[in-house]
Amino acid sequence: MDFITDHLLSFILFSPLVGGLIVLLIPGENKDFTRRLALVLSLIPLAFTLVAWLGFGAAPEANGFRYQEQVNWYPAINSSYHLGVDGLSLSMVLLTALLSPLAILASFSVDERVKPYMALFLALETGMLGVFLSLDLLLFFVFWEIGLVPMYFLIDQWGSKTGERELWSGMKVSARGYASFKFMIYTMAGSLGLLLAIQMLGVVSGTFDMLALFQSWPSLTGSLFGLSIETVKAIAFWAFAIAFAIKVPVWPFHTWLPDAHTEAPTAGSMILAGVLLKLGAYGFLRLVLPLYPAQAQLYAGTLALLATLAIIFGAFAAYGQRDFKRLVAYSSVNHMGFVVLGIAAAAFAAGTESATIALNGAILQMFNHGISAAAMFFLVGVIYERTHTRDLDEWGGLFPLVPVFGGLLIFSSMSSLGLPGLNGFVSEFLVVRGAWPIFTLFTALSMLGLLFTGAYILKGIAKTLHGPLNEKWKGHITEINRREIAVLAPLLLLMLWLGLWPAWLLNVINQAVVTFFG
Amino acid sequence: MIPLSWYLVLAAALFSLGLYGVLARKNAIAILMGVELMLNAVNVNLVAFWRYLTPDSVSGQAFAVMVFAVAAAEVAVGLALVISIYRRRKTVAADEINLMKW
Amino acid sequence: MTIATLTWLIPLPPLLAFFLILLFTRRNNAISHIVGVGTAALSWLLGMIVFIAAIGAEHLGENPITSSVGWLALGDKIFSIGVLIDPLSAVTLFFVAWTVLMIFIYSIGYHNFGQPKGAHDVPGLPPEGAEEHGHRVPSVEPMYARFFAFIGLFAFGMYTLVVSDNLLTLFVGWEIMGLCSYLLIGFWYAKPSAKAAAIKAFMTTRVGDVFMLLGIVALYSATGTLSFREILYSHEVLETLANTPAGVWGLSAAGLIGLLLFIGTVGKSAQWPLHVWLPDAMEGPTPVSAMIHAATMVSAGVYMVLRMFPLLSAGWVEGGDLTTTMTVMAFIGAFTALFAATIALAQKDIKRVLAYSTISQLGYMIAALGIGAYVAAAFHLVTHAFFKALLFLGSGSVIHGMEHGVLQTGEHIDAQDMFNMGGLKSKMPITFWTFLIGGFALSGFPLITAGFWSKDEILADAFANGRWIVFGVLALAAVLTAFYTMRQITLTFLGTPRTKAAEHASESVRTMTLPLIVLAVFAIGAGWVGIPESFPGIGGVLPSWFHDFVGGTLLEHPPAAVFNATPLLVSFAVALGGLGLGWLAYRRSGQTDPLRQPLGPIYTLLERKYYFDELYDWLFVRPVKWFAEQFTYLFLDRQVIDGILHRIARAAFSLGRIFRTYFDAPVVNGFGDFTASVTQSFGRALRKIQTGQVQQYLLFVALLAFGGLFYYLLTILQ
Repeated sequence: MDFITDHLLSFILFSPLVGGLIVLLIPGENKDFTRRLALVLSLIPLAFTLVAWLGFGAAPEANGFRYQEQVNWYPAINSSYHLGVDGLSLSMVLLTALLSPLAILASFSVDERVKPYMALFLALETGMLGVFLSLDLLLFFVFWEIGLVPMYFLIDQWGSKTGERELWSGMKVSARGYASFKFMIYTMAGSLGLLLAIQMLGVVSGTFDMLALFQSWPSLTGSLFGLSIETVKAIAFWAFAIAFAIKVPVWPFHTWLPDAHTEAPTAGSMILAGVLLKLGAYGFLRLVLPLYPAQAQLYAGTLALLATLAIIFGAFAAYGQRDFKRLVAYSSVNHMGFVVLGIAAAAFAAGTESATIALNGAILQMFNHGISAAAMFFLVGVIYERTHTRDLDEWGGLFPLVPVFGGLLIFSSMSSLGLPGLNGFVSEFLVVRGAWPIFTLFTALSMLGLLFTGAYILKGIAKTLHGPLNEKWKGHITEINRREIAVLAPLLLLMLWLGLWPAWLLNVINQAVVTFFG
Repeated sequence: MIPLSWYLVLAAALFSLGLYGVLARKNAIAILMGVELMLNAVNVNLVAFWRYLTPDSVSGQAFAVMVFAVAAAEVAVGLALVISIYRRRKTVAADEINLMKW
Repeated sequence: MTIATLTWLIPLPPLLAFFLILLFTRRNNAISHIVGVGTAALSWLLGMIVFIAAIGAEHLGENPITSSVGWLALGDKIFSIGVLIDPLSAVTLFFVAWTVLMIFIYSIGYHNFGQPKGAHDVPGLPPEGAEEHGHRVPSVEPMYARFFAFIGLFAFGMYTLVVSDNLLTLFVGWEIMGLCSYLLIGFWYAKPSAKAAAIKAFMTTRVGDVFMLLGIVALYSATGTLSFREILYSHEVLETLANTPAGVWGLSAAGLIGLLLFIGTVGKSAQWPLHVWLPDAMEGPTPVSAMIHAATMVSAGVYMVLRMFPLLSAGWVEGGDLTTTMTVMAFIGAFTALFAATIALAQKDIKRVLAYSTISQLGYMIAALGIGAYVAAAFHLVTHAFFKALLFLGSGSVIHGMEHGVLQTGEHIDAQDMFNMGGLKSKMPITFWTFLIGGFALSGFPLITAGFWSKDEILADAFANGRWIVFGVLALAAVLTAFYTMRQITLTFLGTPRTKAAEHASESVRTMTLPLIVLAVFAIGAGWVGIPESFPGIGGVLPSWFHDFVGGTLLEHPPAAVFNATPLLVSFAVALGGLGLGWLAYRRSGQTDPLRQPLGPIYTLLERKYYFDELYDWLFVRPVKWFAEQFTYLFLDRQVIDGILHRIARAAFSLGRIFRTYFDAPVVNGFGDFTASVTQSFGRALRKIQTGQVQQYLLFVALLAFGGLFYYLLTILQ
């Protein structure tokens, strides 16, 4: 038992990977068995995470991080296998561990190559968890990249089968191939700079350990390759910022997102929106703000402007869609804009009360968006499986045919819209409150985005459920089934719970914000 | 005493007979028999040289014995191959067997 | 249990009903409405207990009933939420509890509980009637249970808003009502008009809501709290806010925040220019209209500005110059009051007339507040809630009766068009008498009705403080109000039936008439608690309780207006004059409006609501659709950003092709291919000797061996 508690984070981190290998290696072609096995295996990291969550307050703490583990990894370059969590990363780990089993349960309808699919999914979970758990830059980068590969294959192999995209002068590629390639190359382009910047940090300060870097890096003096330390820091800042901005994504780096989300299989979109986007925001919070406070403050205005544009254009672009899934995908641009706005505000006025509130809001918004976006993508997937179309104009008046589905769709939509009483409102309110005194104009402009959040959400509901019944679906569409309700139920409960009583999560986040950024 | 050259002539004749058989006969078994003759021609040489030149060491005898063994093995393998080919192709004529042609 | 604990409990029963009905009992209509009405009654009971405790408390304004609990930890501060019952929320609670309960009961009859299911009825469309014993009879609403769930949630929103002690939970209730109005206006969602109206209502109010959110956020930033007591009951905070410049348009912080919050009210209470959603909201079932227009949603907007009045008026002293925010409110309120009243003159739909009259009456309250008549505005809010709920439910009863007639006769006419009615007085006596009371209260029929006292107080206040423009505009609006109300009553109930359906109309069931009677009592009696002491003759017979009680909400109790005969006479004149003119003009009206001829194009302008819908469509809706689809998505994202990405990809692609064509293919591949082809030609040449003939091989060997031997011998011999 002691062994487990001493290495709890390693258990969380590697149990999905081991699970994936088990799924892959167990012989037999029974698809149902494989699915169930994968589901059970994905519950293991969740169980460990819950143990970590419940024991969080009592766990020993050093430098603000709990459950730390450190083992030599590359002693020659001072890089170690160093894990640890604070409230920020633990809430993200909880989100990941929670969404993964739900995504696997959502993929029970996947019918081809079930085994590699499930194995890739579990491997993906390890990649994502690794980013949140690492306290070593090199380890962080390794997991950052590991997460990409399974996602690429999930989109490319199990993505939507139809659709083409014209590249240039009549050259056409399959939509999922285009989307997966764009996702992969775009992220890689960002992480290239990230890797170089990480190496630069390592060379200049002689360690990759985050805790050591937090102490030494901001106040470091000296030079590298004849460049002054200020220049080095500025270059490294931009490398970090661009890599994370692509991942978030911040406008105008966002165009990979609607493509990838739209073409990915349902569960892939759930994880993509639910967790993968959070990696970028997490990077900003964990690395950019503490390592480059001066640069972050200098460029916070730019970041806030981009965030505002993401909020506004994300909402408008979502409103302009005919494809429901793409509409939901653009809503992610819109919602993640609030996260970035909060981060920018905190970067500009670090240490003030408003900054604390903005950060609390941004982190809570990450969690909330994870839940509601996952639910929305799943619901789109549910109706897509039944009608084999995502075109809003093809539906209409489905409410009497699928009343339960309709109710759940309205509920999730309202969470996404930020209806007070549900989760999205609390975080959006806190972000807006935090950003208002710092970037008044941008905050006021972002209200335009908030207004049109309503417009696109209502458009989605109206075109799907309301209006005269499109007769061709009569008798051809079945009500949402029990398994699908089981996927949604935890998400909907969390929406309500976080909306009414966010303290259980916000207390943990606030603690981290106070110790880490206070 | 018979001079060494007589033995050598015998061996050469025997060898030539064997070589002729190997090159000229069509029947694979006959070819094998030709090979045997050539081997035995060598044996005659080995033994003759041993007896006339180095009677103190046994190397000539030893090599001759080795050649026996090799010959026996060769016949065994060779005949087996011939039989196998016969079974498949219903012939033992060497010029009809050109599986290895380019 | 303390009163504070009870206050916490007030909003919860309807919420419980919402979940219970949707999750468990939605298939059973009877259990669902028992749950719905039962929980509403429970909330009503709790509300009455709290209300009675509140009016019994000494100096409730100074020592309100409060209770709060920590909700969010932010940094080292705790954000608390809680409940607050002060005089304003107590009286609001009173009228909300009564009207909500009445509307719940009314809904049972309105949705034809106990009637058979219609053969062609589908969820999402109004029931079309069923065949029973050879007669067409009304059929039960297919989504009967769901309706009770939705209005339950609506009630939860309103109660939450009323009992909140801070602006954030007030906003929570506010927005939940927004959602419910969306769900309820779009209750018959399969009707395209209902669907469009629902979206219009949600989006238009959301315009106000985002400004209000900014106001809340700005207030929170400026004061560090959102608690009403801490902000509004502290001279210090208000003074700081009034003296801090906001940096825009020369406003103070209080002015800017107040303005932002007020825009929220403009949306919610359907003031010009965000009034367009409210008439369309008539697409919902009638109890919903009553709920939205009287008891809850629109009242919420006025309640909020009443609540925030100390902030809105920060820097203003009684009788002094109005602050910018107040001027804006007075202008918008007065303008809306007149503007909406004129539109109401030319509407045919019985509910639409009421909708515009609601907008107009809300304008009254806003204007009153804008000139600082706090108590008068609150008074009018209360009385209006009662008589407007009564009128809406009455109109629902009329429509119900007409629909009955339509089913009987099989005529294809609009059951809501007043020009199809007439002579319903004898067919529906209870509805007629209660509607008459409601209509007279709306017109301000002197001395008896509640509407007279509250409207008179507003006019008196405007007169006493010398706000001549406001006074004049409101008086004019009052004439029009009385006029269109009488037009409505005359067209609907008096004269002779204009259609067969009207001849066959019949009185509604008991569950519908009972709420009408109860509300009619309040439509008269609610005014008697606020008769000014100085009123000649009857002043002082009943104590002027309302003014002292609600005035106690404010830090400095507002003085009662000094009595003056002029506004009183004006009140008399406008009410009686309007009513009389209305009766004269319409008593012999046929199926066309007698005003259409003389007014000409003005009538069309009014009928088309000054073309605001068309204007907004042209000004906002279309450009936004174009901007969203064509500009943002297709142009900006697909063309520009993806274009740049594709260009980069293409450049990389071309670079790769150049490398391939000019280096990879000729040099690297060329060398490899050369090696391979040399080897290949050697192989080709040499393979000739592989004949497969074992004897040939041996011959080669032999020849080579002999050749070698000869060569060797030759060299040796030389």
